[in-house]
Amino acid sequence: MSPVLRLLLRRLGISLIVLIGVSMLIFTIARVIPGDPARIALGPNATPEQVANLRAEMHLDEPLVLQYGHFLADVSRGDLGTSLYTNRPVTLDIAQFLPATLELVLIAGIIMVALGLPLGILAARYRGRWPDHLIRIFSLLTVSAPSFVWAVILMLLFAFYLPIFPIAGRISDIYDIDRHTGFLLIDTLLAGNIAAFGDAIRHLILPAVALALSGIGQAARLTRANMVETYDKPYIEMAQAYGFFPSRIARIYAFKPSLIPSLTIIGLDFAAMLGNAFLVEAVFAWPGLSRYGVAVILRKDLNAIMGTVLIIALTFLIVNVIVDLLIAFLNPRIRHSTRAT
Amino acid sequence: MIRAIRILAANPLSLVGVILVALVVFAAIFAPWIAPFPTHNGAVVDFAFANKPPSARNWMGTDLVGRDLFSRILYAYQISLVLGVVVLAIAAPVGTIFGLLAGYLGGWAEAILMRIVDVFLSIPPLVLAIAMMGVLEPTLTNAMLAVTVMWWPWYARLVYAIARSEREEGYVLAAEVIGAGTAHIAFREILPNCLPAIITKMTLDMGFVIIIASSLSFLGLGVQPPTPDLGSMVAEGARYLPDSWWLTVFPGLAILIAVFGFNLMGDGLREVLGVDE
Amino acid sequence: MSALLSISDLHLGFKGLSGINNVLHGISLNIAQGERVALVGESGSGKSVTARIVLGLLQETRSARISGAVKFDGNDISAMNPKARAALRGTDMSMIFQDPTSSLNPAFTIGRQFTEVLRRRDPSMGADACQERATKMLGEVSILDPNRVLNAYAFQLSGGMNQRVMIAMALANRPKLLLADEPGTALDVSVQAQTLTLMRNLVADHGTAVLFISHNLGVVREFADRVYVIYRGNIVEDGPTQALFSDPRHAYTRALMSAVPRITGAGLPEVPEVSEDFFAPQISHGGVA
Repeated sequence: MSPVLRLLLRRLGISLIVLIGVSMLIFTIARVIPGDPARIALGPNATPEQVANLRAEMHLDEPLVLQYGHFLADVSRGDLGTSLYTNRPVTLDIAQFLPATLELVLIAGIIMVALGLPLGILAARYRGRWPDHLIRIFSLLTVSAPSFVWAVILMLLFAFYLPIFPIAGRISDIYDIDRHTGFLLIDTLLAGNIAAFGDAIRHLILPAVALALSGIGQAARLTRANMVETYDKPYIEMAQAYGFFPSRIARIYAFKPSLIPSLTIIGLDFAAMLGNAFLVEAVFAWPGLSRYGVAVILRKDLNAIMGTVLIIALTFLIVNVIVDLLIAFLNPRIRHSTRAT
Repeated sequence: MIRAIRILAANPLSLVGVILVALVVFAAIFAPWIAPFPTHNGAVVDFAFANKPPSARNWMGTDLVGRDLFSRILYAYQISLVLGVVVLAIAAPVGTIFGLLAGYLGGWAEAILMRIVDVFLSIPPLVLAIAMMGVLEPTLTNAMLAVTVMWWPWYARLVYAIARSEREEGYVLAAEVIGAGTAHIAFREILPNCLPAIITKMTLDMGFVIIIASSLSFLGLGVQPPTPDLGSMVAEGARYLPDSWWLTVFPGLAILIAVFGFNLMGDGLREVLGVDE
Repeated sequence: MSALLSISDLHLGFKGLSGINNVLHGISLNIAQGERVALVGESGSGKSVTARIVLGLLQETRSARISGAVKFDGNDISAMNPKARAALRGTDMSMIFQDPTSSLNPAFTIGRQFTEVLRRRDPSMGADACQERATKMLGEVSILDPNRVLNAYAFQLSGGMNQRVMIAMALANRPKLLLADEPGTALDVSVQAQTLTLMRNLVADHGTAVLFISHNLGVVREFADRVYVIYRGNIVEDGPTQALFSDPRHAYTRALMSAVPRITGAGLPEVPEVSEDFFAPQISHGGVA
């Protein structure tokens, strides 16, 4: 078995254990709720009979362990229950709202990597000099405010004062695009509607940048820190002794060995974005999981809350497995873990 | 100490951080005396001055019911700092003990304890707190509880990583050889070596707790009105953009200033204590 | 024949918090074309920084204060701009480092690094030509399966193998001067001896001049035509290897030679203590080209 495949199986195994743990944690949180979930769901006008029926349906009269068993059995069948808020299966609701959130987070992730890593390289290359200081201040500033503050500031500046970008939403009302994937950037292209695609991008930019900002700062700091450590390694002096240009040494010789430790943390930053998307979506009225999540939370809609958190945890675990594979692929020590002498 | 002062002096950014933090702490403690309208931290209404832009009377303008924004921001700092201190005072020790045990004991204890930590770390922090606030009543105490529950695993992971590497160090082996007990080695030998990293992280985390707590109240899941909170102030004002810009901009900047201060200070502390990033 | 490298009255200091910290106090040194010259001294004596000045690396360090002339192939290195200095590195000059394994980049294959080095001399060199040249060079350092080595990463190879790779890379562009900073000190003694013999034969074949930096007198005696002994930033004695070893005149040289090397053979001899005689003026046995 190849080392990468072995790693993949191991990571999937661990992820499964963690996912079961997450389900326990969510279940525990859900059962901490004060009051009777059935009564809360049905509202104050329900008859005792109705409440009793729903309690039976939700298995609320059985011991906790059995309740968890039912929950796990349902989840493994892909059944997250029915939302008491929308009266639809939670899976359907999530399928409807998740793509908008994923699209936002993915684009934000790309912006984070595309700007954060080069800034980190630049800071490391000019460490101790003014570009380094400037980038340090920038990084510290970006991580010093929650993304909803950046969202509000960006909106004020670039949607109101300088009306470059739209204020809210995913796409202008004039475009009627068939939803195939739920990812508007893909659906507009599938429809062959370039104007709509451009419009969707214009709607994406401000929310994605607001979401990415603190990640950019973190990625830059991390890349710089790892690269500064790499700069002390003998192989960098060797590269200097061979007369390679400083910019080439930074981009290639110092960056690649430093990338691997950075990637793990960037995976975690991506996770933080899944949470922060709640904040940015609220500011830009982005029709994603956040609006749904906040709505179901305010209504104490247990099935929907548990389902949403579980799906987010699952997404995060998948991202982490992908990051781990990427690391394995980039790290020759893992790829060639059999020593050939 | 002298070295610390010299490093601070040579590093103007850290000095700025210390000054910002000192200002924020001062503002929070002395809010009742500094605030031009000390009663405006509660459910006061003054419609004659409702929704006014910044002026000589109200430096940062007034909110929709006429309360002085500057006064409310000072009081909001009180809430933020208390919340941060309480959360870290619980999360840091709990996480530290967890991490120490996992890192030093190894074997099954390590596997089980760290899987538990992994479970917590595999839900984006804010989502876990949101989920908890979803089932709890939105009060200050519950917000502290939710943020603490999501926070301790990060300390566990930090201390675990250090403890695991220290486990192999000569001084730990030496202590084992002379027959020191597990608790003695973990708390007397290994813990002191984790302290610089823990202290640095706690300083930086003061800022991040403020961010997470304000995020919860921004979503309406934290401290409830009329108690002044920076997050809910931004949420309330966001509906009146761009005309009443001061409703969002000043509370937003207030968060930025406080967190930036803690970040600069933590960054300087990292250098003084020689902690790796 | 004029000298390939001629250093005269080289001073070096580092600007620190408490003023200038002087490291070199006006050393002079010459190397003829194809000559193998050793610079011997304890660690901290200033031998490694000398190599880094010749390479033009220290000139890029902002805290370094350098004065004196360093002439390479008739051009004054200290008067050049950084770009011109960089152009010499990896082409007319190259360097071999102490620890071969950690001096090779862990993120790239040997082949990739070899290609990069070859393209320093000829940027237009194609992949096949690079592969061919690299294979030939690895053959010269007695590597029997060059293809496997080229596809490997440094951490997959033994220290001795990496040392050969480094020698092959360093000589691949036919440099006029090779700087060897304690080569192979990180290796075990027999491997070190093997690779040094290999290097000696190769530079002799190629007619490459070498500045060999070492603290190991035994190795120096085997390798060098001429020796400079450096002590605390001053050259204390120099001369042809034979003359210097048979008749060491300076107190420090004598102390160095009479001291017993550590059992590993690679370590620095235990020089008894600082003596006033060690600061006596330079003694030269002549023999400079």
